[in-house]
Amino acid sequence: MAKSNSQGAQVSASKPMLGSYFGNHKKALSHTLNEQKKKPLASILTCAVIGIAILLPTLLGVFLSNLERSQLSFDNTTQMTVMLSKTLSPIKGATFAQELTKIEGIESAKFIHQDDALEEFKATFELESTLEHLSDNPLPHSIIVTLSESANTIEQAQKLRTSLLGKPEIDLVQLDLMWVQRLNSITNFLSLSTWILGLMLSIAVILILGNTIRLAIENRKDEIAVLKLVGGTDAFVCRPFLYLGIFYGIGGGIFSIILCSVVLAILAQPIEALTASYQSDFSLSGLNIETTLFILLVGTFLGWCAAKISVKQHISAIEPS
Amino acid sequence: MIQFINVGKRYSDGHEALKNVSFELARGEMAFLTGHSGAGKSTLLKLIMLMERASKGQITVGNQNLARIPPRQVPYYRRHAGVVFQDHKLLFDRTIFDNVAIAMEVAGTPPKEIAKRVRAALDKVGLLSKEKLTPIQLSGGEQQRVGIARAVVNKPPILLADEPTGNLDPELSAEIMKLFSDFNQVGVTVLIATHDLELISRLPYRVIELDHGHIRNEEAFVNG
Repeated sequence: MAKSNSQGAQVSASKPMLGSYFGNHKKALSHTLNEQKKKPLASILTCAVIGIAILLPTLLGVFLSNLERSQLSFDNTTQMTVMLSKTLSPIKGATFAQELTKIEGIESAKFIHQDDALEEFKATFELESTLEHLSDNPLPHSIIVTLSESANTIEQAQKLRTSLLGKPEIDLVQLDLMWVQRLNSITNFLSLSTWILGLMLSIAVILILGNTIRLAIENRKDEIAVLKLVGGTDAFVCRPFLYLGIFYGIGGGIFSIILCSVVLAILAQPIEALTASYQSDFSLSGLNIETTLFILLVGTFLGWCAAKISVKQHISAIEPS
Repeated sequence: MIQFINVGKRYSDGHEALKNVSFELARGEMAFLTGHSGAGKSTLLKLIMLMERASKGQITVGNQNLARIPPRQVPYYRRHAGVVFQDHKLLFDRTIFDNVAIAMEVAGTPPKEIAKRVRAALDKVGLLSKEKLTPIQLSGGEQQRVGIARAVVNKPPILLADEPTGNLDPELSAEIMKLFSDFNQVGVTVLIATHDLELISRLPYRVIELDHGHIRNEEAFVNG
């Protein structure tokens, strides 16, 4: 203590060196983790709550990306099936198909003979025996019209359809893309819903964690007062709580990744069975690395946010007395 | 080292704890602050620690006008003044070592340096062998010595104490006072608030007496 006279006589408000910055962080982090080890059940439960909250939008997101992937496998160019009048001969039909390509907005037109159509129909639906009882082919000649890129919107396709219906050679025009368009709208709707749900649950996570951290601050009120008394800055005092928030956030993220994998594993079988009944070889793809990292990042961010808000509100109120 | 010029402190509830208090404590001096309970002893110490701000007057500590220290700078200021409380204010979930170490951790001192200085401080108060225990395992006197070790581990130029012997028997109180005079011997400016008049009458230090917020009587004991 002998040096205190000469060295410490000057009272000043000097700041510490930056060199100890990382040491401080390491200490705060290890302190937070040690605290959590003392009450594992409470920590796990908090992480589980956060995990479940993150799980819901995550699952929706995974389903959505699967749905979008399945849409990608459809040819994105719009096609129309033009059923020709029964009175039209195949040769005239083929010529008519040639004429259609001259119309603006039509990229190509492929004539299909009624016999070919019947063959394909039989092959696809395995109705050979039933169809043999028919005396003649009930199918008309048809033309598959592919729209050019510029006309590839639902309005343009509708317009073209109306104008084609005006031609005497044409009986019926079927717009094949309708249901893909519908699927598209549903996907858009679900995507927006996922983001809204995600936003709502993010707020819920911040509220839950904010409250948990408020309780942690409350529990360590005496310690905070002592730390402030011996010269702990607000940043120093807040640090363990910020780490606590990040810890819960990452823990919640890990929980939701595990839960999500379990749920997807359970659902994979029924979904494949369902899609198989629609002649699809669709298979459910799970979490990829990007999504996994995204969830962890979101968890970390939410935890940090919650801690920051809570700490800002409550730590400054604690003063040594 | 510590200078009060016409300092007044009025709390928000209207209570006037200090009225027109002026005194000066020289560098390396040791003094007792006495007075009935409610006389303003604790308030005076809190003003020096910047736990409270003066309502009027000027307080200078080590050539620094306390009114000019913004809240952000208060933690750095506090590192230069050790303080000891009657209720020790120890952390019961940490070891004795950690309790003393926090005073250095807040300043970002490297762990090796902390270990060295904490052990030196614990050695000084005679508790080196108990560094791994928690406060609950110590007696009242020992707990108070942990508080003192924490207050001095940073080698502050100023040491304040608020009723440090309040709960201790006369023998332990004398030991604690001996520790304070030891620190004063090496140049630390010491100010101790106490109502233990019997004890301080046997010690050769100046006494500042507060009475309802005023300084009533100052007398300097001559070493004897």
